Amino acid sequence: MIAVLGLVVGVVVGLLVRPEVPAVVEPYLPIAVVAALDAVFGGLRAMLDGIFVDKVFVVSFLSNVVVAALIVFLGDKLGVGAQLSTGVVVVLGIRIFSNAAAIRRHVFRA
Amino acid sequence: MSAEEKDEQREAAHHTHKETTGRQRLLAGLWPPRISRAQLIVALLLFGLGLGLAIQVNSTSDKGALRGARQEDLVRILDELDDRTQRLEEEKQRLVAQRSELESSSDQAEEARKQTLEKERQLGVLAGTVGAQGPGITLTINDPQGAVEADRLLDTIQELRAAGAEAIQINDVRVVANTYFSEVDGGIQIDGKKIAAPYSFKVIGKPQDLEPALNIPGGVVQTLEKEQATAVVQRLEKIVVNALRPAKRPDYARSSSQ
Repeated sequence: MIAVLGLVVGVVVGLLVRPEVPAVVEPYLPIAVVAALDAVFGGLRAMLDGIFVDKVFVVSFLSNVVVAALIVFLGDKLGVGAQLSTGVVVVLGIRIFSNAAAIRRHVFRA
Repeated sequence: MSAEEKDEQREAAHHTHKETTGRQRLLAGLWPPRISRAQLIVALLLFGLGLGLAIQVNSTSDKGALRGARQEDLVRILDELDDRTQRLEEEKQRLVAQRSELESSSDQAEEARKQTLEKERQLGVLAGTVGAQGPGITLTINDPQGAVEADRLLDTIQELRAAGAEAIQINDVRVVANTYFSEVDGGIQIDGKKIAAPYSFKVIGKPQDLEPALNIPGGVVQTLEKEQATAVVQRLEKIVVNALRPAKRPDYARSSSQ
């Protein structure tokens, strides 16, 4: 419950405050958000499976974000940033879908 | 498929080994709210996620597609815009030049048309194809004894022309450059058209020149009076010469200009 509240508060604060993102971070923010979403869905699935461990969630969340940003950064340096970030988004999207399928099975039994 | 099967096996195992299902665990996690370390850490991370999400959504919806674009894309877009601006600028210059050209040519055409019209009117007065009006005199010759001959009228015309007459009409015949007088059966014909006394001249020109030209001693009026005819000259501010003759296109002569 507290976790859901945290998400809601984060969205509300982001919408109300409208903080300026530093230009250095800006290209990595969308990828980082998608990676974090992947981690959240993974964590939700683990919770439904009864194997949720908060430490694992924290590590996977942070590492997902960092690795995604790192890949995009590397891609930018190599000159294939656009393609690589598309690839990352595709991979993360597939994982989100498979996690969502598992969650669906738990929640709706279908 | 294998992944799904595995999931289903796992689900089945949960059902058999443990009483609680995933749904129950989810509900238990949601309510009642418990403040535990795990919840707080997850809440903190989710707060970060929500914040990032909101910022990203805001920035992409705020300033259009350019906000999230990367550097090389921006450079490419800028280049394209520069090219496009240049092309449009060139096109604009071309169109402006074309417009000014068209304007000046239409001005010239309008001017030429006006001049042509003016010239046509002037020439029409000379050729007798249009009516004319202006100051001038009338000359009325009464000839009760039929003593006036064609050459007398011709002399009168010559005298008027020498005095600067610009348009002349005798009775209802316009006098132009190729007008001729003839005598047939004792009557006078002008351009093959029979006219009878009294002869009424309408002459456009400067009245102060025309009248003395007729009235000078030994001039037209005196000569006519010697022949038992009477001539009356009258100055008028407005004479209307309205007898016309058809425009004739010359068969052989062509303008040598142009």
